[in-house]
Parts: sequence; C-alpha cells; structure tokens
Amino acid sequence: MSTNHHHEPNIFQLEPVEVTRDVIARTRSRGSRYWGIVGVLAVLLVIGLIGLGMRLGSETTKLGYYAATFSFLFTTTQTAPLVSVAFRMTKNHWRRPIARASELFAVVGLFNLLIFIPLMIALPSTEGRWTIWIQAASWSPHVFDTMMLASLVVCGLGLLWSGAIPDFASLRDKGGSKIYSKLAMGWQGTVRQWKMQRVLLSFLGAFYFIGIIWTHYVISSDFSMSLVPGWVDSIYPTFHALSGLQAALATMLLTAYVLRRFGGYKEYIPMETFWAMSKIFLATSMLWFYFWWSAFITYWYGRQIGEQHVLQLINFGPYIYAFVIAFLFCFVFAVFMLIWNPIRKNPGALASIALMVLIGCFFDRVRLFVSSWSVSDLRDQHHLHYVPDTVLPEAPDIMIIVGLISGAILVYMLASRLIPVMSIWEMRELRLYQRSRMLVRKKVMVLGKPE
Amino acid sequence: MQDRKALTDKQINDTLTNSILRTPLHWYILTGFFAVIVLMGFVAVGILANRGLGMTGMNRPVYWGFFITNFVFWIGISHAGVMLSAILRLAQAEWRRPATRAAEVLTVFALGTAAMMPIVHLGRMWRFYWVFPYDWARGIWPDIRSPLVWDPHALSTYLIGSSLFIFVALIPDFAVLRDKTTGMAHQIYGALSMGFRGSVRQWRLQAIAGIILSALLLPVFVSVHSIVSWDFGMAMAIPAWHTTIFAPYFVIGAVHSGVAGVITVLILLRWLFRWDDFIRREHIDALGRLLFVVANAWLFFFALEFMFGLYHQEGTEVVVRDLWLFQTPWNVIFLLFIFTGYIIPVPMWLFRSVRRSFPLMLFTTILVNIGMWLERFLLIIPSMGRKHSFTFVWGDFAPSPIELMIVTATFALVFMLMLLFAKAFPLIPIFDIKEGNVLRDEIQIGRRTVQAVIREE
Repeated sequence: MSTNHHHEPNIFQLEPVEVTRDVIARTRSRGSRYWGIVGVLAVLLVIGLIGLGMRLGSETTKLGYYAATFSFLFTTTQTAPLVSVAFRMTKNHWRRPIARASELFAVVGLFNLLIFIPLMIALPSTEGRWTIWIQAASWSPHVFDTMMLASLVVCGLGLLWSGAIPDFASLRDKGGSKIYSKLAMGWQGTVRQWKMQRVLLSFLGAFYFIGIIWTHYVISSDFSMSLVPGWVDSIYPTFHALSGLQAALATMLLTAYVLRRFGGYKEYIPMETFWAMSKIFLATSMLWFYFWWSAFITYWYGRQIGEQHVLQLINFGPYIYAFVIAFLFCFVFAVFMLIWNPIRKNPGALASIALMVLIGCFFDRVRLFVSSWSVSDLRDQHHLHYVPDTVLPEAPDIMIIVGLISGAILVYMLASRLIPVMSIWEMRELRLYQRSRMLVRKKVMVLGKPE
Repeated sequence: MQDRKALTDKQINDTLTNSILRTPLHWYILTGFFAVIVLMGFVAVGILANRGLGMTGMNRPVYWGFFITNFVFWIGISHAGVMLSAILRLAQAEWRRPATRAAEVLTVFALGTAAMMPIVHLGRMWRFYWVFPYDWARGIWPDIRSPLVWDPHALSTYLIGSSLFIFVALIPDFAVLRDKTTGMAHQIYGALSMGFRGSVRQWRLQAIAGIILSALLLPVFVSVHSIVSWDFGMAMAIPAWHTTIFAPYFVIGAVHSGVAGVITVLILLRWLFRWDDFIRREHIDALGRLLFVVANAWLFFFALEFMFGLYHQEGTEVVVRDLWLFQTPWNVIFLLFIFTGYIIPVPMWLFRSVRRSFPLMLFTTILVNIGMWLERFLLIIPSMGRKHSFTFVWGDFAPSPIELMIVTATFALVFMLMLLFAKAFPLIPIFDIKEGNVLRDEIQIGRRTVQAVIREE
C-alpha cells in the first residue's frame, strides 16, 4: 500500500547513446590504482603458487586447506553467474545493472579449473570405500568430476560471450581492437540476431543452472563426504549448493558495492538492486540454518555412534572454531541484521554483511573439507571409528589461501578490462521499460513487463 | 499475450459477490453430492470407533497405512496457501491476486482434514488429547522428545496462523458484503468487518498486518512439513526413513502437490462460478511455470533421497529400493507414481499452449496429486512391510473398504468445505483485484504496447 513519503521514483536517467559512450570509456580507461591492485594481486598469486608447489605430493591430510580454498572459490565465483541467470529467467529488471558483473565471474571458472587439476590428482582412489559412483570404476570421480567442471566452465564462458555480443559490437563500432570484431561475429542488431541471442541465453542459462547444481553435488560428495567413512548425508550436496547461492549473492553484493563506490557506476546501480538482492540474501541465510539443522537433528537424534563421530568431526569437535564462525557469520549475524529494512537499503551495510558471510563461508568450507581430508584411514571402513585431531594451517596453507583468492580476483579484474562490467544493451533496454507518472498525488515508476 | 478485460469496481463487486448473493443451482447439486460422501465417511469412522482398528487393513509390521498416507498428503496440499500467498505477496508478483484466497482457504481445510487422520488412526480416537502436555488426572507427561508430539503443536500453530491470515485479508471484503446485504447477513458481515470503512489508516494497518503475518507464517509453513518428515526421519529401525534430506524433501513435495491442488481448484471454481474475467490464461500460465520449477526441484530431492539410500549399500536400504523397483505390486505403484507425478505432466508444461489450456492444466494437476499421494504411500508402506528378523508374524497391507471410504470422504469433505466457503465469503479477494487494477498500466515501446505495473517504492 502507498505511504505518505513523497519522493521521486528512482528511474535510470541516462540516454542510450550516453550509456554506450560512458561504459566504453570506463572500460578502456583504467587508472594507476587499478594497475597497482593488479600488481599486488599478481605477486600474491605467485606466492600462492609457490605454496601450492610446496604442498604437491604431500599426504592427503596436508591438502585439506587447499581443497577448502578450491571449494570456496568454486562456491563463490562459479555460482555467481547464477544471480544473473536465475533472475533473467524470472524477468526481474533489478538484475540488469549487475547481470554482466555476475556473468563475468564465469572467467574465473578457468582459473578454478586449473587449480582443480592438482586436487583431482591428489584425490584418493575409491577402491575399498563408498562413493556416489556406486558400481562404477575407481577412476569415476576423477574423470566425471573434471568433465562436469570443464563443461560448466565452457557453458559459463558461452553464457558470458552470448550475453556480451551486442556490447562487443558497440566496442567494435567505437574503434575498439580487432578482437571485438571477432567476438561480435558480425552482429548488426537485426531482429533475427536479437531473437537468436535470447534463445541462446535461455538455453545456456538453463544448462548453467542445472550444471552448477550437479557440480556442487559431485564436488561436495567426492571431495569431502566420501572421504569420511559412514558420512551418509543426503542433504549435504544441497547444503553445499544452497550455501553456494548465499555466497554468490554475497559476492555480487560486494561487487555491486565496489562498482558503485569505486567504479563510477553509481547512476547505474540503484538502491532497488541492492534491496532486491538483500531479500533473497536473507532468505538464503535462513535456509542455510534450515539445511544445516535438518542434517544435524537427524544425526543427533539417531544417537548412532558413527553418526555422532561425524557430528563431532564437522561441527563440535576439532573444527568447532570454524563451525562457530560459520554459524555466526552465515546465519546468526546475517539474519539478525538483514531482517531490518534500513539495513537492506544501505549498500555500505550490505557490503559489510556480504564480506562477513564470505568469511563465514570460507570457515564453513574449512570445517567441511579440512576435516574430511584429515581422515586418513579410508579402506574397508563403514563407520568413522575415531575423530582425528585438528589440522591447523601451516605457512604453505596460508600462502595457498591468500594466493589463490588473490588469483581469482586478479582474473576477474583483468577480464573486466576486456569485457565491459556493465551490460550496455541491458541498461539501454531498461531505459525503454521505465516510465514515471502521477498516481493520485504521488509520482510513481511504471515498469514494463514484457511476456 | 495477456487476455485481461477492463472491469469497473462495481462490476468486480457484483461478479465476485454473485456466488454469495445468487447461488447457482449446480452449487446445490455438487454440495449435496459431496455431503452424502462425507456422511458415508462419518458412518465409516463410527464403525471404526465401535469395532476397532481390526476393521482396517493394517497388520504386523505395517502399523501405518492409508490414514497416515492421507495425513501426509493433506498436510502437503495445505502448503500451497502460504507458498502462493505469503511468498508471492512479499515478492510483489502481480499475478498472484486471484489465486491467493482460494489457496489460503484450501490450506485451512486441508490442514483440518489432515488433523483428523491421525485421530482416526488412533482407534481409540476419544483419547487424542493425550498428546497435549499436562499430567493431572493421568500422572504422566507425553514424551516431548517425540516428533509425534511435536506434530500436533506445529499443525495447530499453522492452523491458527493461517486462519488469522485469511481473516485479516477478508476484512475489506466483509465490508463490501456488509454494504451489499440486509438483515441477519448484514449484521454478521458487519461484525466480521470490524468497522472497516476504508480509511487510509485502516488500509495501512491491514497491509502491514498482512505483510507481518506473511513473514511470520513462512517459517511455520516450513516447520510443519519438516516436523511431519521427522515422524519418519527420527525412526532408526525403519529403512529408507532415517535420512537427512527428508525435511526439505517433504516440504518441496508438499509445495509440488499443493500448487497443483490450487490450480485444480481454481480451474474448477472458474467453471462453477463463471469467473472467466478473473482467473485467466495468464494466471494458470504463471502458476504452471512456477509448478515446472517446483517439480524439477522436487525431482532433484527425490533423486538425492533415492541415490543416498543406495550410496552406502546397507542391506536394508537396498531391499527397500529393490521393493520399489522390482517387486510387484510396489513396482507398479512406483511406475504409476513417477509417471503421474513427473514424467507425464512436467514435459507437458514446457509448452505454453498446455500451460494456457484450462482442460490440460486440470488434467495434469490432477495427475500430479495422484502421483504425490502414491509417493507418500510408497514411502510409508514398503519400508514398514520389509521382512526382518525377530518378528513373529508377517502381514501385508491391503486397504479395507472402511479405509477406502474414509479416504474418499476426506476429498469430498475438502471440496464441500470449499463450496460452503464460497457460499458465505468471496473466494477471489475483491480488494486485491481492485488494487491490481489500480496498479496496472501500459506503456508504448516503438509500435508495441507492453503491459506494465506501477511500482511503489
């Protein structure tokens, strides 16, 4: 219902020509601050790779933090394009300003694929233990997991490319390098080309959606659950995917804040985008607890010794510090802050909560992956008979964590130099769908809802 | 394309109060028909109370049969109300408007029907009050650690919350009815409308109450079916029940069957009361798309539940999957369930022409609920009937005529209650439809006219 607060509706004001000119100018010109950050990130990445080199060939117990970092990066960066995909399907206009920024994370998938290769080699053989590949050959996880991740990366890149074709054409026409001409593939903006692009986006979006859910499923079960004898938790892959969606929203809120605050896109990213994302962010934060609780209560109530050991391992035993941080950051603090409307309408506050949730998500992955990689006795065990001690990070682990996270940010920043981080055509389209008019005595926004 | 027709406020008032003020003849015929079946159901309950549970097909070790299956099914149907009303209201989905009231009312009636099932199942149904936590006169407390005790509390909370939710949303419509009636009806609607005159303050309070109740009901809605799932999930001895995914799996299954149930009811009401201008193709199209997403999410959870039963290759778990897939009659029921619950309807919803066809949507949504009823049956009966050691007698389950009669009567009861409600109160929210008209607009883009909505900050 209406309120008595009179204020102008927040309508995107820039003319289509201005949008094209402005976004292209911002993409091409990068200041010294940008290159400074790129340099620092590159150095940190090298340090991370040195740490990774020191860890390769180590026993599995030593690779837990590497696995946790990979899972964290996969969770945050490769789930991020889902924000664009899902809300394009539901035709929400608020996603337009962040659609490209979200899809651009698909490029980080390439980086994730590279750092996945050593982890896949380190994954213990499935002989003598249960995996989700019940009767399949012992190499199943290695081959199929790689195939799934590689397919997801290809699909993500396809999604990014097909969503950016009109913008590549704009860059080509505004005197960009020859690469844009190749990427635009003769785009002229004919009705047929637009129709084809819509179809391509729909198909790739649907495939990406299905792909990311199933990749979460195989990664979570093959790289943590099946390493712990007796950990049979049917909700775990869904928890992994759901917490991935929460982390993806956190990543996008943080990215949107950075673009708005430091990238010069304040006019493009309205409060409505933050507000809409924050409501879903709140819902996913509550679901985080619900999914965790569903698993916990079933095990706790069952009182079976093997299940109690699993609960000890991943929640209340050697990694209780990680569990408490994850529980507080991903659920308690997040929910009790996000329920307040003024907070949901404050980009700075939302960015802070998003950062907190990302930290919580990292510790969540530590409790799940470091704990499972610390279980060394895998053969012929149907139940976890003992709870291994805490594995604390050593210098190479810290180098890996910092270096790989820096590497992911570096890849994203470099990609944003080539591909506009703001979708020109989507913003121009938004301009067409927004109007303002008087409703009784109040000026309101009228939003076109095409079929 | 949207096929809406511009209606004035008076036309909306007249059409939507028509079912109350001028009842069609087929309303009496249908209500009478359902009332006869309900009466037969009550007679069956009476026989059961008199003769005991031996009248049912339950036998050792299958202690839960049709009644509990039906209980879980109706709890599932009840999930559509909040799903459609609260979530879509919070998400400001405009197409929700004609569907919300019917969904909410279906929630309350389905919940009430569900609540009757465990009571009937008790055999000594007059002792149902034993679940409540008091000990005077009996000297014992119910075990509050038991999910079977959590159930009635979750269910009654949901019932009270949903009823309040409907009542708050009905207040402006009561006022319309008060102003259109005379005599005793005027007095009753006047009392129910609680002095509503449509002032700005009253509208604001009504809207705020609706939003707060929506937000409060959402966790209750999730908790109810989760707790129902824990009736099963907390049992260690029954294979295929002790699994961590049961809570969300039950919830998504409930939403699947509940939304399908709402579409069925809406299409039938449209036909019965000639609500062609209100329940339009665009509405069932939107509901169909929602159902498509929900159905696929349900399939994902079902796949996880199934696969993780096999994952650790425990003998008892494998036996239950073997029963589902390879042992007659369970494999026939399994095939029926998967075909009616997913394989036939969901691919059909991919086609826009199907989603916009009333007869096809009626057909597919009825199929879904046949499938979802069978799903609950399969979850309960084969797991209990599995042969295991140290049991001195083996019985199988075959429903008796008494059970069949009671279960049939529950369906008749819900339809009859919906019809009775439609006789006394508007099943499409009048004020919501009018608000939708105010917030509706069109914009011109090039040569094309595009439907638009007014967005309030």
